[in-house]
Amino acid sequence: MVPPQWYLLLSAAVFCIGLFGILTRRNALLFLMSVELMLNAANINLVAFSVFWGNVTGQAFSLFTMALAAAEVAVGIGIILVLYRNFKDVDVTKATTMRW
Amino acid sequence: MVGAFDYAPAIVLLPFLSFLVALAGGKYLPKGGAFGGIAATAGSLLLSVWVFLTVSGGETHNDTLYTWVAGVSEETVSLELGLLLDPLSAMMLIIVSLVALLVHVFSLGYMNDEGETGLPRYYAGLGLFTASMLGFVVADNLLMAFMFFELVGLCSYLLIGFWFRQEGPPSAAKKAFLVTRFGDYFFLVGVVAVFATFGTAAFAGPDSFPHIAELAMPGGESPDGAVNTFGFDPRTWFTIVGLLVLGGVVGKSAQFPLHTWLPDAMEGPTPVSALIHAATMVAAGVYLVARMYGFYALSPTALAIIAFIGGFTALFAATMGVVKREIKQVLAYSTISQYGYMMLGLGAGGYVAATFHLMTHAFFKALLFLGAGSVIIAMHHNENMWDMGGLKEKMPVTYYTFLSGSLALAGIVPFAGFWSKDEVLYEALVHGLGGSTLLLGAYAMGLVAVFFTGFYTFRMVFLTFHGEPRTETARDPHGVRWNVKGPLVVLGVLAATAGLVNMTPVAEMLGMPGIELLHKWLAHGGIEMTTSEHYVTLLEEQADYHATHLSPLVPGLVSLGLALAGAGLAHVLYNVPSPERHTDKLGAIKTLWYNNYYQDELQVWLADGVVRPLARAADKFDQGVVDGVVDGVSSVSLFAGGRVRRIQTGIVSNYAALLTLGLTALVLVFGIMGGWFV
Amino acid sequence: MIIEALIAVTFVAALVVFVAPDEVAGRLAAALSVLPVLGSLYMWSSYDAAGNALTGGSVAFETMVPWLELGGYTLHWHVGVDGISMPLVVMTTILTSLAIFSAWTPIDDRQSQFYGLFLFMEANLLGVFMALDFFVWFIFWEAVLVPMYFLIGIWGGPRRKYAAIKFFVYTNIASLVMFIGFAALVFGLGDSVSSFDLPAISRALRGGELGSLYGVSAETLKAVAFVAMFLGFAVKVPIVPFHTWLPDAHVEAPTPASVVLAGVLLKMGTYALLRFNFTMMPDQATAFAVPIAAVAVLSVIYGAILALAQQDLKRIVAYSSVSSMGYVILGLIAYNTYGVGGATFQMIAHGLISGLMFMGVGVIYNTTHTRMVGDMSGMADRMPVTTGIFVAGAFGYMGLPLMAGFAGEFFIFKGAFASTVHASMPLFTAASMFGIVIVAGYLLFAMQRTLFGPFRLDTDYEVTTAALHETVPMFVLLLCIIALGVDPGLFFRMIQDAVNPLVGGGLP
Repeated sequence: MVPPQWYLLLSAAVFCIGLFGILTRRNALLFLMSVELMLNAANINLVAFSVFWGNVTGQAFSLFTMALAAAEVAVGIGIILVLYRNFKDVDVTKATTMRW
Repeated sequence: MVGAFDYAPAIVLLPFLSFLVALAGGKYLPKGGAFGGIAATAGSLLLSVWVFLTVSGGETHNDTLYTWVAGVSEETVSLELGLLLDPLSAMMLIIVSLVALLVHVFSLGYMNDEGETGLPRYYAGLGLFTASMLGFVVADNLLMAFMFFELVGLCSYLLIGFWFRQEGPPSAAKKAFLVTRFGDYFFLVGVVAVFATFGTAAFAGPDSFPHIAELAMPGGESPDGAVNTFGFDPRTWFTIVGLLVLGGVVGKSAQFPLHTWLPDAMEGPTPVSALIHAATMVAAGVYLVARMYGFYALSPTALAIIAFIGGFTALFAATMGVVKREIKQVLAYSTISQYGYMMLGLGAGGYVAATFHLMTHAFFKALLFLGAGSVIIAMHHNENMWDMGGLKEKMPVTYYTFLSGSLALAGIVPFAGFWSKDEVLYEALVHGLGGSTLLLGAYAMGLVAVFFTGFYTFRMVFLTFHGEPRTETARDPHGVRWNVKGPLVVLGVLAATAGLVNMTPVAEMLGMPGIELLHKWLAHGGIEMTTSEHYVTLLEEQADYHATHLSPLVPGLVSLGLALAGAGLAHVLYNVPSPERHTDKLGAIKTLWYNNYYQDELQVWLADGVVRPLARAADKFDQGVVDGVVDGVSSVSLFAGGRVRRIQTGIVSNYAALLTLGLTALVLVFGIMGGWFV
Repeated sequence: MIIEALIAVTFVAALVVFVAPDEVAGRLAAALSVLPVLGSLYMWSSYDAAGNALTGGSVAFETMVPWLELGGYTLHWHVGVDGISMPLVVMTTILTSLAIFSAWTPIDDRQSQFYGLFLFMEANLLGVFMALDFFVWFIFWEAVLVPMYFLIGIWGGPRRKYAAIKFFVYTNIASLVMFIGFAALVFGLGDSVSSFDLPAISRALRGGELGSLYGVSAETLKAVAFVAMFLGFAVKVPIVPFHTWLPDAHVEAPTPASVVLAGVLLKMGTYALLRFNFTMMPDQATAFAVPIAAVAVLSVIYGAILALAQQDLKRIVAYSSVSSMGYVILGLIAYNTYGVGGATFQMIAHGLISGLMFMGVGVIYNTTHTRMVGDMSGMADRMPVTTGIFVAGAFGYMGLPLMAGFAGEFFIFKGAFASTVHASMPLFTAASMFGIVIVAGYLLFAMQRTLFGPFRLDTDYEVTTAALHETVPMFVLLLCIIALGVDPGLFFRMIQDAVNPLVGGGLP
């Protein structure tokens, strides 16, 4: 059996990649994909510990997260479309009207 | 058996009822409600006479009528309103109700016949004024006295300001209320001090505060510390309390330095002036001192101060009366001066003398004011004496009654004022010679004032009635009717004869003590501890006042001589066909007197030059500093918010970076706190 | 149950008026506002309690049911009245009802919302005076601010937004300070009470059951809590120097709101001071006697001097309220029957009299459209009835005997002068009494210049006689004032009864 540390390492790596993407990418689509990565990092943890403890609650939660992620993508794509329509671009740093 | 005392509350309530009737229905009543007022005051007068007769039968009444505030627990003092009917108040009741009745009748001539508007308001005011004063007279405790004292002040405000559509009267009314209010402030402090000290404010009886105070004096029957004297020794504390109450007296009785409201109060209708000066408001102050004389008698300091205020005011006001042009102004200053004599009498230990002067003055001053009112009607409301002259032939009734009042005011034998003023001065002299030498100073001032009084009184008489008419109106004066002449005649007779009830010098000379009726009246039959006999004992024991034995003849002749000298000078100067303005020869002194020693300017300066800038400065301070701090706090938070919101850049990546940083910081903090890195 | 009925009827009336059409809202609100008046008068006539609700006395019309459990603390729906709150309830209903009548003329837009909010405020005010559980009390206490905020902010004068926000934020921050102070006390009491029930807390505090909290000793905790609560309530009263929201709020507020603001809302502060600080912590109160008496004197004199400088009639009356509230504080600190009882009586008296004065100013404003002293003169000529009532009210304010103001002030002076809490009390009393001269000064000056003299008006409005629905409420108030002045026992009897346990049992 694979020890849980490996899963933790994997999950942390995926999370960091996602975080890196959010902090550095300006393209809204890549932004969305990075968020997806971070959510899946959490999923990995949930499933891993679920198996490790023999408790299915974690797996159930990961299913919830996937559903959530799907919904989020739907909303996110919608926002990006509107963004493109209004700013003729999907660069998140261009759309700065919602500030002080 | 139902006696006079059971009906005594009606003495106060009848005029109050006339106030309500005139207020509510005066519009629909004939003469604007005047008849209601006349009926009410006549009823009060009858009941007062009945009370007087009952009191002269040796009965007195001192009982609670209405519990204003009942203490729920045992320790809580109840505040009560009651009636105190003894010789002093019975006498005063008659004076007040009589003068009020005559003033009501006179008003028919002065107000109704002259076609004034607002008569219901006028008669309502008169009714309330009379009721308040009568309530004050019968008050059995200091709190009740204060309450009616204030109501009297309200009525003076309403009536002085009767002609509110002009500039002058509202201003005078305001001044009258405000100046007396200043005195009442001290009075009110005195009232609460009396409650705090004695736990009661009753005037008479074994549980009255003068009596408790007497027992608490050093050598009294009460043990030390029986009353709370706030750390002072009893005499000092009682002096302080007495002087506090005196503040109200000085205000209402128009004594120096709070006398300035009174001449201004001449802006009111003349009958009101008569009522204020003779029987109600101004008399209230002096009456109050007489009412609680047992308390003042404990403090020689307070008595000396009273005497000095009185003597000084008598002289001070008399000098100003010498140069005035308006007839009512002369009378106003004479009132201040005469009340100064009463204060002098009270301060000098002449309780009976002062009360006597209060009585005679009520008659002759009411007479003089009503006479002046009659003249003013005749002159079509011109009050300047220099526009008059020669009215003697045109209005004989007014002239002779006015002359009677003037003789009384000047103190010419045998008119009322002579006997009473003379006795006041005599008391000051004998007590002054008897060891209280300070009183001699007050006596001297009072004596000099006699000369001035004689002079200004007859200057007024001669200018008004003698010589040649100096204007068209004086040549053809407006006639007056019975309702003016009637009251004048009644008062004219009283002014001539009222003094005969107490001819002390005559009694002394002829060895007939039986004819000093007022002395007997106040000495016997009263409630124990409030008789003049008891006051004499108190004065000797506590205030160290001793009367030298001296024949009243010589001092009487001296003051009579001075009065005659003053009157004679006036005769020489002014009883000529066309008198000149002799007072102009006084030069700067005349200007000083004519401007009332610049007292009014001083008070106006205090109001406009001190209080107003102070208030403005306080307002600036309040808006700038106090409110500035409040607004400053809000500005600071608004400014801080304005800066902090700059982190809301609108760039998603920045938010994400902040989130990450925040998370990292939290993890670090938790890690360090939780010791994860050890 | 009558208390619940009273509050519920008022709430329902508020809702009904809120949805009623504008044309009938005023009349409907006036008609419905009579119901609470009748209810409170019935309560007053059948009042049968004795003693102080917070010190173990019996409570009239009491209801106490557990409501919520919150972190080990039980919250009760606990309401009831005693001799201190009963008069305030009666005054609240009467004053609100009369204010609604007087609102018919000046309020001409969004009437249903105005009257709905007005009744909503009344319901909350009633709740404040009748709640006996801190939680319930605090909800009502805060909920009063909301309708008043809108009344000032929507129907107010030109600077209404500034005034409304200042009023709301200032008093709300004060509530927070007070809340923290009180919460510290409740947590300090810990398991010995474990509820927010005011009588229980009061008894525990007076019984010395306060323990230490987070290492702070009970004495320090009490002192800090006392100061925090005093400051919190001081803003509401308001005591100088926390008074500056008041003139702004009054000047901007529509007249009917001013009537209730001065008449009832200020009394919330003094009522709370009496209920919390002076009932629960008498030792701290007497320890702070000198500073409290000093701010009382400062409020009286400073407020009166400020009133002297004002040109706006409403500002004059507003500052005079600061002055009058100073007397109440002086009476509270006296700690004897006449002092504390007089302070309670003065709350009622001042509520009625300041209500009358604001109505009078309102009537003058409605006809002349100015409140500036310099803009008019001789109004008595054109508005004799209004002038008469106004003069009567002004003399009531000056403390004319046989009117309620004199009774209240005299009780306070008498109590404070004889007070034993500190040797300097007579001096403080004498100093504060000078306020009666200054109040006469500014009111007489203002009346002389506006009401008397030759008629003159600098605005272009026709002066007409006031409508009946404007003068009759003033007249009713005047009658109440005179009735209370002639027979203070109407209220003072029950007040004494409720105050005596405080002054007897609270002091060493």
